[in-house]
Amino acid sequence: MTTDAFLFWFLALVTFISALGVVVFANPIFSALSLVMTMVTVAALFATLNAFFLAGVQLIVYAGAVMVLFVMVLMLFDLHKEKKAFTQGAFSGSVKLLLGGLLAGLIVGAVSMSKELYKAISDQAVTNSATGIESTKALGQLLFTQYIFSFEVLGILLLVIAIGVVALARSKGGTHVK
Amino acid sequence: MLNEAWIEPGLNHYLMLSAIIFSLGLLGVLLRKNAIVMLMSIELMLNAVNLTFVAFSKYSGNINGQVMVFFVMTIAAAEAAVGLAIVASIFKRFKEVNIRFFEHLKG
Amino acid sequence: MGSDIVEIGINGIKLVLIFLMMVQAVPILVWVERRGSAFIQNRLGPNRVGPLGLLQLLADAVKFLTKEEFVPAKGVPFLYYMAPIFALVPGAVAFSAIPMATPLLIDRFELFGQMWGPYTILFQGYEIGVGVVFVLGISSLATYSILMAGWGSGNKYSLLGALRASAQIISYELALGLSIVGVLLLNGSFNFGEIIAAQQGPLAFTFIGHTVTVPFLPNWGVFYQPIGALLFLTACFAESNRLPFDLAEGEAELVAGFHVEYGGFKMLLFFIGEYGHMIVGSSMFIALFLGGYHFPFPGITPEVLRYYATELGYGPQGVSIFTALILFLSFFVKLALLLWFFIWVRWTLPRFRYDQLMDLGWKTMLPWALANTIITAIVIQISKI
Repeated sequence: MTTDAFLFWFLALVTFISALGVVVFANPIFSALSLVMTMVTVAALFATLNAFFLAGVQLIVYAGAVMVLFVMVLMLFDLHKEKKAFTQGAFSGSVKLLLGGLLAGLIVGAVSMSKELYKAISDQAVTNSATGIESTKALGQLLFTQYIFSFEVLGILLLVIAIGVVALARSKGGTHVK
Repeated sequence: MLNEAWIEPGLNHYLMLSAIIFSLGLLGVLLRKNAIVMLMSIELMLNAVNLTFVAFSKYSGNINGQVMVFFVMTIAAAEAAVGLAIVASIFKRFKEVNIRFFEHLKG
Repeated sequence: MGSDIVEIGINGIKLVLIFLMMVQAVPILVWVERRGSAFIQNRLGPNRVGPLGLLQLLADAVKFLTKEEFVPAKGVPFLYYMAPIFALVPGAVAFSAIPMATPLLIDRFELFGQMWGPYTILFQGYEIGVGVVFVLGISSLATYSILMAGWGSGNKYSLLGALRASAQIISYELALGLSIVGVLLLNGSFNFGEIIAAQQGPLAFTFIGHTVTVPFLPNWGVFYQPIGALLFLTACFAESNRLPFDLAEGEAELVAGFHVEYGGFKMLLFFIGEYGHMIVGSSMFIALFLGGYHFPFPGITPEVLRYYATELGYGPQGVSIFTALILFLSFFVKLALLLWFFIWVRWTLPRFRYDQLMDLGWKTMLPWALANTIITAIVIQISKI
């Protein structure tokens, strides 16, 4: 077993366990903390795929900002362990579980059967695999040339969302009622 | 069963992992009642998708996938902010963030 | 990590040493802080135990270790115990990514009847291509330790302190991240090694075809990005929850902030975490704005040091070790001075009010950092004409 393989299997295991934790923890705070763990391991998986810049951005944006927001809101609401964390109904619940399992099984089965196809892609990729710094540069160049319009639209979207969130949060019943 | 091709990580492994995480996120949305946990499950699904993007981007040598991840992250952050704002206004009224209170949002 | 077992071993030992360096700096810093505050306030400070009170650290450690162990009744024991441990991790991981001197070259040597090839040992924990992004990402995880402590204690004061602290840290992260964009634009790199290498020698730049050289000033980032440096340093104070930004532990309002319920050794771990943030912030400031391990005198470059070492009759291995040690000394002196600056500011400035703090972060520092970024980009484009 090489270092790469060990790293992948370790990260995959931790990612799976913490992702499972998000769903099964009855206390929302523990759910959120285990989602943070998932974010960190996904960032590490990005790093194993040579996407170092994205790994850093994942840490800063997801783990450092979005999840802090979640945890802060949960703590502010003072949500303790919920007795009925899951939806009611044995039948509908089992159907939902079955659906989720079926989806996962279908995708995993499809992926494992189409091994040959992906192998062809992988062989072709060896020729143009980029290292960390080069891929960051290429990413920036692509973002500011080919995708510049989408990037600008994203900026406007963020502005709109910021205004909308302030409007929502300051609505009736808030702490800033005039 | 466990031969070399299975231990050595390739594109398939990342895709399978991502599929499993995505399904977990889906189950979280379907099974949980707490709206914040549902939002977090959506984040989990988006993360799984990001993982597939990056994996395909590496194994096909095409960096466009990483740009997509960049966009998805931004959208996810925005979505989380809006979702939490709505949840906060629900909480102010009902002192709980159960999903069944969301039917009062209309009008 | 490495190609063979010796290299992996050396790298592992190096990581442990860097971690110990960070942890061991803390008692000394605590002593400096207490004596320094006493000096500033015209008192004596701890001077009974040992010469100059230096053994006070040892006495404190014994005191911390013999305190009673307890978990608050309304707390969550798991989070309560995990929080102090997580306070240590981000600082240590981030500090390892910052280069402290030039690499060491180790010749071939014989061990256990086998020849081990020549090694190049980096004077840092690990080399990461996008080091700046990595350090920012890792140190943004420090918030969770505070939030876990606040929630795990089951105390309203600690929860309020934790919420304040995390809100403050997220707010100032924006200014922190934007203030270094100018440096990144100037160097065109995310790599600490490249950014530091670009800062050696005298101040020299090309502006619209003219080459300007200032022979008596070093080529440091702080001369190109004075506003960026000021914003970064201020944001560092806020990130490490130090005065004048330690609203999280405003004792007049919140008893002691998120660590009200902590005592003994767990409290000490939070202390180490706080000083770890100071150390990471200072070493990042040094790497980005103060020329890293380069000497403040532009004449003394690593090449000059290597030349002198060769003149003194060292081999290639000796030359690299000599150079690295002298450069590490330069880094260390800069780090010590910056840490003293942190302590000095703590005992000089009063605490902000919370709304002032948020106003400073969002309405002053963020616009200035944005303007700095835009102006830097424009000036770089113009100077290329």
